[in-house]
Amino acid sequence: MLNIVVCIKQVPMVTELPWNEKTGTLRRDLAAGMMNPACKHAVEAALRIKADGGAKITVVTMGPPAAEEVLREALAMGADRGILVCDRLLAGSDTYATSFVLGRAIGREVPGCDLILCGAYTSDSETAQVGPQLAEELDLPAVAYAERLEISGRTLRVRRLVDKFRETLEMEFPALVTVSMEQYKPRYASFAGLNRAFAEADILSVNLKRLDITPAELAAHGSRTKVRRVFIRKTQKENVLITGAAANAAAEFLDKYQRKISAVIGKSIEAKKQT
Amino acid sequence: MKHKLIRSQARAFAETELAPIAAEIDRQRIFPRDVIARMRGLNYFGLQVPKEYGGAALDSISAAIVVEELSRVCAAVGLCVTVHNGVAVYPLLQFAGKSQKEKYLPPLAAGEVIGAFSLTEANAGSDAGSVETTAVKRGAEYVLNGTKIFVTNGGVCDVALIFALTSSPENKLQSSVFIVESRFPGFLRGELEDLCGMRANPVSSLFLEDCRVPAENLLGKLGDGMKIGLATLDNGRIGVAAQALGIAQGAMEAAVKYAKERQQFKKPIASQQTIQNYIADMATEILAARLLLYRACELKDAGAPFGCEASMAKLYCSSVASRVTSLAVQIHGGYGYSKEYDVERYFRDAKVTEIYEGTSEIQRVVIARAILTTPIL
Repeated sequence: MLNIVVCIKQVPMVTELPWNEKTGTLRRDLAAGMMNPACKHAVEAALRIKADGGAKITVVTMGPPAAEEVLREALAMGADRGILVCDRLLAGSDTYATSFVLGRAIGREVPGCDLILCGAYTSDSETAQVGPQLAEELDLPAVAYAERLEISGRTLRVRRLVDKFRETLEMEFPALVTVSMEQYKPRYASFAGLNRAFAEADILSVNLKRLDITPAELAAHGSRTKVRRVFIRKTQKENVLITGAAANAAAEFLDKYQRKISAVIGKSIEAKKQT
Repeated sequence: MKHKLIRSQARAFAETELAPIAAEIDRQRIFPRDVIARMRGLNYFGLQVPKEYGGAALDSISAAIVVEELSRVCAAVGLCVTVHNGVAVYPLLQFAGKSQKEKYLPPLAAGEVIGAFSLTEANAGSDAGSVETTAVKRGAEYVLNGTKIFVTNGGVCDVALIFALTSSPENKLQSSVFIVESRFPGFLRGELEDLCGMRANPVSSLFLEDCRVPAENLLGKLGDGMKIGLATLDNGRIGVAAQALGIAQGAMEAAVKYAKERQQFKKPIASQQTIQNYIADMATEILAARLLLYRACELKDAGAPFGCEASMAKLYCSSVASRVTSLAVQIHGGYGYSKEYDVERYFRDAKVTEIYEGTSEIQRVVIARAILTTPIL
């Protein structure tokens, strides 16, 4: 039976949050948390693998105590076990520090793991770095932005969409894949599942001490990046008023904007000019 | 944390599956069978049914949250779920014998079978004692005759709990409850009602014409009708309160969004103090209503008497729903009176929460009776 780890993250439920201007970080205290959407797709991918050929699914998250919620949600969806990596010293970790700690936690707590799945990116910072960095930490082959996974024996075939073409790659277990939101539409958790995820959940909370990560080691592998500035991009909107008779105005509108409209709707709308 | 997750799952379902169709199924009076089918595996029809019968075994606050979230988007589907769980499944859990539970609870909890509760008749509404439907024992069967009206889920129910008059051994008339399957001979449905609100729910009459019901389908004991009816209504009122609260919440959110967007006098109407007063009142009343509802749920789960608090919650939540939806239409101005905006539907859906499962007037009777007969501590 496959041993699968899915790394998930709790993100703020709304995208436009005020931030702390001094530290440049989001005011996460103002929003309710939810499971990052791409992580949910990764959980769904794991659940489909489990349904096809059997697997034990361990979900792992690093975050404050409240992040336990996304573990319970994943358990309600059908994962088997949760691990919460939680330590005050981890507050403010960047992707480098996060992947170091996650790598240690998976190595220690889920030995013999065959496949690690991550969401391709998170809705709060969208760096898409933790998956690939974690593969480096654990020295695993990795494919990012996967839209479909197929397993035969110890071989994993991954299809992904890159720019305008699809490529299919193969690798042997153990491996890491980050899952995009193209496929694997996540299921809803049933209420019985949610009840079970609270009544009988298998959740392990680990801190740095349990992982044998000393403050010195954490400093050496600590955050390498610093947020210098956060700002809202100014949207470039302008109002254009087209005047004149309706037929002329419509023709002028199409003359000016048909290429933009075509680009948005994805097909050509060559204007048939009335003479 | 559990309640938050229950809410977020129900909300995601309602916003994804119900929001796109809510206006259309209201307009066309369509019962959304395909969405209902998707709700089955997620335990919407066995919210508080124990695990051994295939339910989710949720606590009462969780169950109320589910109904709230469905009703926040589509009250007619919230109504289907709360009637099924609150007044069809609940009395079976409370009063059915073991073999009745084993037969009926698993398909009901799975949503393969939809339940209804049938007390109301043309001459028996608030005066539940005036039921005229009769059940006469003939051999191993009861033969039921009568007409039930305004039956929520009536058009689609597979099992209905029917209140009927029976004779005691001393030949005294008393009411009893029967578990009646729609496939029993003599069970007929009327046309769907053309109602002001909750239009996507198939509310109909049920006709019992020499309807033959096996004697083992008597719920509880002969003559238990009033007892079962009152206990069921206590529970049903929690469900209607949750529904009303969900409608109010949905209407307030729509009004707040609109007030921030709508510009008059070159600024959003939300910057006008009058609109702010409306919003402050809506939000305050909704929170008070929610706390009152959850208090009734807490008492129920603790096994304490909860009838008085359930009536208070039903009375208050439904009046809040009426006020809030009316204000939400007012904030939308002329657009709020148009079917283009959801608040028009919320406004129509809210009214009936002051009427069914005991009118507001009857709730006051229940509350006053409890207050006047309970020693003040």
